[in-house]
Amino acid sequence: MTRIRRGYIARRRRTKIRLFASSFRGAHSRLTRTIIQQKIRALVSAHRDRDRQKRNFRRLWVTRINAVIRESMVSYSYSRLINNLYKRQLLLNRKILAQIAILNRNCLYMISNDILK
Amino acid sequence: MASSSSSTLSLCSSFTSKCRIFHHQNTFFPCKTLSLSKANFGSLSKTPTLASTRPSFLPILKSSESQAPVLEVEADQTQSQRDPEPEPASAAVVDVAKEEPKREEVFAVVMIGSRQYIVIPGRYIYVQRLKGANVNDKIALNKVLLVGTKASTYIGKPIVTNAVVHAVVEEQGLNPKVVVFKYKKKKNYRRNIGHRQPNTRIRITGITGYQEYPAVTLDS
Repeated sequence: MTRIRRGYIARRRRTKIRLFASSFRGAHSRLTRTIIQQKIRALVSAHRDRDRQKRNFRRLWVTRINAVIRESMVSYSYSRLINNLYKRQLLLNRKILAQIAILNRNCLYMISNDILK
Repeated sequence: MASSSSSTLSLCSSFTSKCRIFHHQNTFFPCKTLSLSKANFGSLSKTPTLASTRPSFLPILKSSESQAPVLEVEADQTQSQRDPEPEPASAAVVDVAKEEPKREEVFAVVMIGSRQYIVIPGRYIYVQRLKGANVNDKIALNKVLLVGTKASTYIGKPIVTNAVVHAVVEEQGLNPKVVVFKYKKKKNYRRNIGHRQPNTRIRITGITGYQEYPAVTLDS
């Protein structure tokens, strides 16, 4: 067999990985073996956090709705609002309620007054 | 927070609706700018310039007639007689500028593909791929949960009866790629999978049919 050098096979593969980690801090964007490890960690975190993101946002929406509702009237809370929502058969979800609470607060007060009656 | 511009239905590939809606500006009308777009959660996207939805220019004759009396009052009569050509051009521009605020300031919450979106006429949103919808198809969305105008809201229990949101299918595309990377340490197991979720971009043209429903105002 004639002698074959590897040439640029490994370099091409590592350039792509290096591009992925090009914005990382310090040695994590400069040293090849560290770059490979950090890319794996980054992708695993992204995968895991995509599921966590759904949970995080729901928590945020609940907190926001709670804050806006509590300052509207005396002794009214998020839990009572959700209870009334279900009793009156409204289908609005927390994402929309949180957005309405921020952008159009009167609308949320109208909703809460309406379902309280 | 919310006021910051964000994503709409639209927004990085997997992070769509939530982030998008997040960055709405404080003023609900007229413009929401959404930066991130999430595929999973439909949200409003940055609309292209209003020029795309602007009505066409009025015919020059009509505009010049309406503008002529105004110009004669301001400018000298000799000047207006001398320069008929620049008048129609400027009049046409002024008319188009006046036509923009004709868009009614109403929003609706509509449920598409078991996700809820805040929708205002003239903007587009990315939703889950609608099977059997071709480009430039008119779509009527019936599951309207809430309609809000400047003064009153129509709260659906659970939907606002006879309210319809009209939309036009603009494009059937794919979300940006999401890399699903599975890895178990010390066990030599790694799987690299890319995923692009199909989506549909629809442009909202109008919201109708909510006037008969009992409205709720802040005084009641």
